Amino acid sequence: MELNWTTFLLEMVNFLVLVWILKHFLFRPVQEVIARRRAGIEKTLSDAKGLHENAEALRHQYEGRLADWEQERRLAREALIREIETERTQRRAELHADLDKEREKGRVAEEHRRADALRGLEQTALAQAARFAARLLASAAGPETEARLVELAIAELRQLPPTKIATLRNHPAGSNAMTVTSAFPLTEGQRVRLTQALATLTGNESPLRFEQDDSLIAGLHIAIGPWILAANLRDELQAFTEAGHGE
Amino acid sequence: MSDVSLLIEPVLQLGPLRITDTVVTTWGIMALIWLVAWPVSRRLAIDPGPAQTAAEGLVCAVEEAVAAVSPQHVYRIMPFIGGLWIFLAIANLIGLVPGLDSPTRDLSATAALAILVFLSTHWFGIRIQGLKGYLRHYLTPSPILLPFHLIGEVTRTIALAVRLFGNMMSLEMAALLILLVAGFLAPVPILMLHIVEALVQAYIFGMLALIYVAGGIQSQQRNPED
Repeated sequence: MELNWTTFLLEMVNFLVLVWILKHFLFRPVQEVIARRRAGIEKTLSDAKGLHENAEALRHQYEGRLADWEQERRLAREALIREIETERTQRRAELHADLDKEREKGRVAEEHRRADALRGLEQTALAQAARFAARLLASAAGPETEARLVELAIAELRQLPPTKIATLRNHPAGSNAMTVTSAFPLTEGQRVRLTQALATLTGNESPLRFEQDDSLIAGLHIAIGPWILAANLRDELQAFTEAGHGE
Repeated sequence: MSDVSLLIEPVLQLGPLRITDTVVTTWGIMALIWLVAWPVSRRLAIDPGPAQTAAEGLVCAVEEAVAAVSPQHVYRIMPFIGGLWIFLAIANLIGLVPGLDSPTRDLSATAALAILVFLSTHWFGIRIQGLKGYLRHYLTPSPILLPFHLIGEVTRTIALAVRLFGNMMSLEMAALLILLVAGFLAPVPILMLHIVEALVQAYIFGMLALIYVAGGIQSQQRNPED
């Protein structure tokens, strides 16, 4: 149990050298590689954390976008429903308007059709009445009837208004002959009275031309140039029928 | 374990220096450690192999033990404390190898380590706290305690050296006595106890050194206003 100073000193030196060896060949290199590994792990964890945060941010962004899309879809759906409802209401109103218009057109067309039918019936009735009257008068007419119509014509010539008389008198003489057409042969007395009445009326002393036309049924047809006086049954019946057409 | 005796005998004489087997064995341990550490340090990689895993496990265990006592100065005091643990564990166990003697059965070796612990305590304390600040802790909490601090410094260093020396020498002596009395293979159980005791003594010595060094550092850190 003695203390050997050489051993004592050498052991101190040996241990200090051993500490140096351990520090340079074991502790420091191993600590450095552990530090590098920890740095790598920290970097990996940091990267993973960053990726996780990015993924979370993307997830939140995606969820927000989905919510926005859902909101937009809901608003668009509501707008579409409102637009459809408005369009349907408008179309319904237009349809009702078109139906009313068509109904009105139908009603007017029906009225026109009824009026046309009524007018046709009236014309048919007038034509039948004219034919009936013409047939009746043709069978019943005679010189007596014509004599009364001649008297009636002379009376009408005398009752012409002054403006008409001035027009007849301003008519150039001889340019158009005055023609008197009768259904029956006129008597001499009737011809004289007609000649006097027309000469008085027109101031023209030129002789009249007398013609006969059975289609007049009875009465006279006096033509002074373009002016015509119809005092016969044919023209009266025709005027009656045309008056029915003009209504 | 040597079959000669418990005496420390010189191996060679270099002038005034008398080299004992303790020193030679220590050199052998140093060479062994270097031969193991050097290849491992050259092949370190991010993906460790078995040898690197063992080395990292050893370094991390030492680092955690030091950090548990002095977390602020781990990398400064870790080589010294780790060196104590590694060297003492190997030095205590190497006596189990036939023909070799444990260096720690020599009081000169344990005294040298104890003196190194004593000096390192002051070294680290002065480097970290400064000379004036470090010496002031001998006067706290009261200057009256200065003699007790000084006595404590000496006695704990002596105790550190004698404890390790006594335990290791006694183990080898017990094994030798059993071998002499009972014969071949009889000391095997005591040799198994030797393994446990060798590791425990290495741990105790290193932990006490760590506590002494950390105490020298942290004794002044408790009074930053000073």
